Amino acid sequence: MTLTGLFRHLFSYRMRALVKKEFNQIRRDRRLQISLVLPPILQLTLFGFALSSNVSDLRLAVVDDNRTPESRELISTLTESKSFRLAGYYASVDQLGDAVSRGDADAGLVVPYDYARDLARQRPTTVQLLLNATNANTATISRAYAQGVLQSYNVNLRQNGIHLQVQPTVAPNLARRGQIQLQPAFLFNPGLVDSWFIVTGVLGLLLILNSTMVASASMVREREAGTIEQLLMSPASTTEIIVAKIAPLFFLLSLMMLAAIAVLRLVFSVPFRGSLLLLICAGCLCILSGISIGTVIATFSRSAQQAQLTSFFLNPPLASLSGALNPIEAMPKWLQPLTVLNPVHHFAAIVRGTMLKGGGFADVWPNFLGLFLFTLVLVSLSVRRFRKQLS
Amino acid sequence: MAEGHTQVIAATPVREVDRDAAEGLAATPAIDARDLTKRYGKVEAVRGIKLEVRPREIFGLIGPDGAGKTSTFQILAGVMEATSGVANIFGSPAREMRSQTGYLTQSFSLYPDLTVAENIRYCGDLRRISPQQIVARGQQYLRMFDMDRFADRLAGKLSGGMRQKLSLICALVPQPRILLLDEPTTGVDPVSRREFWDALAHLSADGLTILVATPYLDEAERCHRIAFMHQGQILQIGSSTELCASLNAKRIELRTPDLRKTESILASHSGPDDDILDVQRFGDRLDLLVRDPDQAQQQVTEELTRAGVSIEEMHVDQPTLENTFVARLRALGQDLHSSEFPSRHNHSSLRGQIAIDAKSLLKDFDGFTAVKNVSLQIRNGEVYGLLGANGAGKTTTIRMLCGLLEPTGGSMELAGATGNLRSEAVRKRIGYMSQKFSLYDDLSIRQNLDFFAGVYGVPDAEREEKIRWVLSFSGLEGKQDQLTGSLPGGWKQRVAFGAAILHEPDILFLDEPTSGVDPLARRAFWTMINRLADTGAAILVTTHYLEEAEQCNRLGMMVAGELVAEGTPSGIKSRQTGHLLQLIVDQPQRAVDLLKHTTEGWRVSLFGERLHLITEDAPEIAIQQTTQQLEAAGLRVFSAREDRFSLEDVFISIVEKARLEGKVSLEK
Amino acid sequence: MRRILAQSRKELTQIVRDWRTLALALALPLVMLLLMSAALSLTVYDLPIIVQDFDGSSASNHFIDVFRASITFHVIAWPVDKPAEAALASNAARAVLIIPPHFGRDQASGVNSPVQLIVDASDANTAKLVSGDALQIANAYNQQIAAPAPVQAAFRLWFNPGLSSKKFYGPGVFVLALSMFPPLLAGLAMARESEQKTILQVYVSSISAHEFLLGKIFAFMVVALGEAVVMSAFLFTYFGLTFAGDPTPVFVATILYTFCVASFGTMIGVKIPNQTAAMQVVALGGFLLVFLLSGLMFPVQNIPIGLRWISNFVWGRYFIEIVRDALLQGGGWPAVWYKVIFIGIIGSIFYLLAWNGMRKMQVKS
Repeated sequence: MTLTGLFRHLFSYRMRALVKKEFNQIRRDRRLQISLVLPPILQLTLFGFALSSNVSDLRLAVVDDNRTPESRELISTLTESKSFRLAGYYASVDQLGDAVSRGDADAGLVVPYDYARDLARQRPTTVQLLLNATNANTATISRAYAQGVLQSYNVNLRQNGIHLQVQPTVAPNLARRGQIQLQPAFLFNPGLVDSWFIVTGVLGLLLILNSTMVASASMVREREAGTIEQLLMSPASTTEIIVAKIAPLFFLLSLMMLAAIAVLRLVFSVPFRGSLLLLICAGCLCILSGISIGTVIATFSRSAQQAQLTSFFLNPPLASLSGALNPIEAMPKWLQPLTVLNPVHHFAAIVRGTMLKGGGFADVWPNFLGLFLFTLVLVSLSVRRFRKQLS
Repeated sequence: MAEGHTQVIAATPVREVDRDAAEGLAATPAIDARDLTKRYGKVEAVRGIKLEVRPREIFGLIGPDGAGKTSTFQILAGVMEATSGVANIFGSPAREMRSQTGYLTQSFSLYPDLTVAENIRYCGDLRRISPQQIVARGQQYLRMFDMDRFADRLAGKLSGGMRQKLSLICALVPQPRILLLDEPTTGVDPVSRREFWDALAHLSADGLTILVATPYLDEAERCHRIAFMHQGQILQIGSSTELCASLNAKRIELRTPDLRKTESILASHSGPDDDILDVQRFGDRLDLLVRDPDQAQQQVTEELTRAGVSIEEMHVDQPTLENTFVARLRALGQDLHSSEFPSRHNHSSLRGQIAIDAKSLLKDFDGFTAVKNVSLQIRNGEVYGLLGANGAGKTTTIRMLCGLLEPTGGSMELAGATGNLRSEAVRKRIGYMSQKFSLYDDLSIRQNLDFFAGVYGVPDAEREEKIRWVLSFSGLEGKQDQLTGSLPGGWKQRVAFGAAILHEPDILFLDEPTSGVDPLARRAFWTMINRLADTGAAILVTTHYLEEAEQCNRLGMMVAGELVAEGTPSGIKSRQTGHLLQLIVDQPQRAVDLLKHTTEGWRVSLFGERLHLITEDAPEIAIQQTTQQLEAAGLRVFSAREDRFSLEDVFISIVEKARLEGKVSLEK
Repeated sequence: MRRILAQSRKELTQIVRDWRTLALALALPLVMLLLMSAALSLTVYDLPIIVQDFDGSSASNHFIDVFRASITFHVIAWPVDKPAEAALASNAARAVLIIPPHFGRDQASGVNSPVQLIVDASDANTAKLVSGDALQIANAYNQQIAAPAPVQAAFRLWFNPGLSSKKFYGPGVFVLALSMFPPLLAGLAMARESEQKTILQVYVSSISAHEFLLGKIFAFMVVALGEAVVMSAFLFTYFGLTFAGDPTPVFVATILYTFCVASFGTMIGVKIPNQTAAMQVVALGGFLLVFLLSGLMFPVQNIPIGLRWISNFVWGRYFIEIVRDALLQGGGWPAVWYKVIFIGIIGSIFYLLAWNGMRKMQVKS
């Protein structure tokens, strides 16, 4: 179709009637309106606030076999940090173990009976830290915390000695070599705000899933009500029908996207370092591919309920294979390549690239291209399916 | 089949409800409703009705669309609370007597994903019928309705008629004492409808009380008493004869070569103050309701002679229930005589051209041939009626004819196009009203009409006027902002019909446009259909009302995907062999049963209180034999004469004959 | 009782008849187990890291080798003249290690040398893990070349010494799947009765709301239990999990939980007589609440207090804790008895709400 032909189509009286009808239907559909506003905002907020990896206030159960001022100082150093708080003293490791498995404590510290003596003799001493590793992530992070606390404790020991009665070796150790002081700097997110990662990932997921749900429902509704036949008998062409169906949805979903971006900015204070235009373009591609997925599902479903069920079933794989909630590097090797086929993955990379990292098109073009190709394939597939179904 | 029907009687279950017990209760009415009201928000659906139904009575509830019938049924079935008033079943509140009532709704309340047997089982289980009894009674009734072959079929895969029979079986298995049937036969073909009513007659004879609503007034004539409901109130109760007599009029049946012209001439001389009270088109004749038959006959002869119209036949009879119903509604100002359609285009130049030309159409669905070898030609200016039982392939044929469905074989020409039937130019010229409601339920009436006007490119200048016309045609003036989904079915059909002709198509497809529409509105539809044909449109229409079909120029009858008869209504009727006897007897249902013993089942049928018998013998001999046979059995024959075949007689005999020959099954 | 069974039989017949949906409902949990437990892991491996070595001495090489040997990192090449931040912005790497000039010399002369680690913190959790791992590597290196620290910690990881995310997520996803599909089917079935008007059939009969609801719920409990069995088989084989202690609490809890989720779905179906809407609500309730507010991914304590109280009402939370206890910690009845009771209470509330909506067994006007 020529461009002028397309324009003639777009502004024809029929097109106006078709688009107006869709808008009228949407205006009447209170449920659709609510589902366009409420769940996305709710989901963003919930995901942003609820998924936090911060490890704080782990309940530390202590077995102190040493019972000296030195051991108590170690214990208070640990429990006074933000990560741990004292859950109680136990007489034996067995009791401590029971407490952890009952869920009364999350971690345990065992100070050996010869702790103070070893320190005094300048002999390295070892304390045991028992972590409930059921949650591997929490365990890893708390291990790092504990290590950090101990490290500064050690530095203090070295510099000040522990107590007056401990005689620190003052004699210069000629064999001593310089220590490496690793200084981590957290780029893009120095405050280590968890929600930034989650909400930027969930945004794409929301766009795709909501577009899919809304589109499949709207496409199937027409067929279920039997009105599609009436529409097909009208002089409107398939192109007009498809465009008229998609355009209002696209418009509304774009509004939803803007609202979601506003939530990101206002509720989660996600920094905005890159090009907004790029982000919105990518978002539009996301919406389009979502609508296309919905349309394809609709053409395969016999009822609205089946279509919704199918779009709902898309949720887990789409979410878990996107890197939206967790780093792709944490997935098994064999699953990682699959993320290339996931628009949510590309969109998340673009959002993070632009919003958090301030990157431009030059930085995110591979993802942009991926998303674009994906959208292109989906749109043409859905138009093909829809046309086939219409005729 | 004859044997089949014989068995039906033999197999009629001996109901366990004790007759004596039922008669002992005769003092208490089976249904007793007093001052019953139902309000939905501001809308008053039922406004203080009083209704008493006696035990073992078939009681009909008739009324135009939206009269409050469904609300009444729901209250009596105990599934909805009345706003105020009393609704008693056998002296106790309806809600407490649910175990005694069976309720059939307009929509099939069956589980489409359960089989016939499973549906029956569940219904029985719900009412604590023992499994053995469920099986026994289920089989009994399945046999009675000739459905025992389908016990393992999914309910969703049954035809409309079968589904309603299954609903009836489900309602019967718990052996209720009262059946509440809310338009059980809407959209069901005449053959199945007839079987359904025969079954009801048997059930009532066995002691069941039946309250039934129906838009088919010939069915209503089979009720013992009828209540005429209008706007939530009952206006009149009485037997069919009483209701008809209350009109205080006689009926003149008039046949002329040009009925339409005759109708318009006589209509201008009729009115409540004239001698001719009302003129009603009825199949291939006009029914005139008159005060004084002699005077009226004279007047008719004069008027028609002056206009140069010859009279083929004219005789005086009692008015039918439908005459009464239509006349009453007209008197209530319910007529849909709207203003003239604001037509802007004239297709009369097309008149006589071939609009639709189908040659040997064939449609296969995964090995099932839905339509075979159908050829038909429809010209501009012609109304073509496609008739057939449910599942005969009418809708599939229509969808192929209008280009929605690609035929598996054969060729099609539509509006001059042969290759691409779906081009914009072709579709602009086509109007289409599908069987399902073709409006958007979630838009207001006005928005729907605006949409269809817009999508068909009705110029802005004409739009307002045309939309106003549709609203007045549907009797919905001032209600244009109401949600379409909230309209009763009949009203939706009116709007849908209006929407389909907004753009003045020259080819019009109407798939069961009058299904569920009350008799008055149906007449308005047909007036409009005829008017459109006069302007040169080619119209294809399907219907289950065969008296309407008489108004078509040509008819095609389909049985099991094949076109088995085609021609003008009179042509088709004249090809029917044998003679039709009309008998009026004191116990019509018993007479039918008796006659079915001695002759093939399809030859005997009941139209209201009139019994039709098709015989191959000479009429005089047949009348004599039949009268003797009936009188020997103790029945009284009031009158017996030869009559013209109605289209319905012909249709039933064609379908039944095809079924007898066994080459076709009505079911897919 | 007979009517309850009749109701269940009818529901089960319908469920089996729609075998496609049933198959999905049974197969999808397995897919979820397989995918989510693996794909939602937070422990990273082979994270691309750039090393910018401005020293180039043997000491710096030695230090980089330690990073090369780590399973967490995967050292990739990057031109020295290009700013390292660009690599992070374009996702080429997730961290940069910058070794200053004179690194080797300083070390040899006993001066502490600052090495900078720039971490892409757009993913805060990974950033924490990465810096923690890098610190550990640096520590180990220091121990190796310099004197050991006075106090060392020996870490013992209980219940899941291999730090396998699979074992942690397996039980969580098990609960998530149980919280999603059975209520979805139950909600749809209930809403369908109203939508297709078959509910009239039920109203006309004198079956009580209790009989009707219990019959329905029982049928979907059967489905849920079937799902649970299929998934447990998977957990015990592919995930290599075993009962860590007394399994009776989890058996009792599973039965109560299936009642709870079936009641939840039915309740939604009663309250919202529209299949699509009912589905959305069940999806939001079943998926979102259980996924986010039950401690499936992160501990409940991490949720801000404003939201955390909600998790006290999230049925899945208690069941996740019970299943994890049974499969990982083995605390048994003393650890979980009250959680079992909570599930029962929440289930009963759902049931009563459903009953309240159906109580009249009449058309609502």
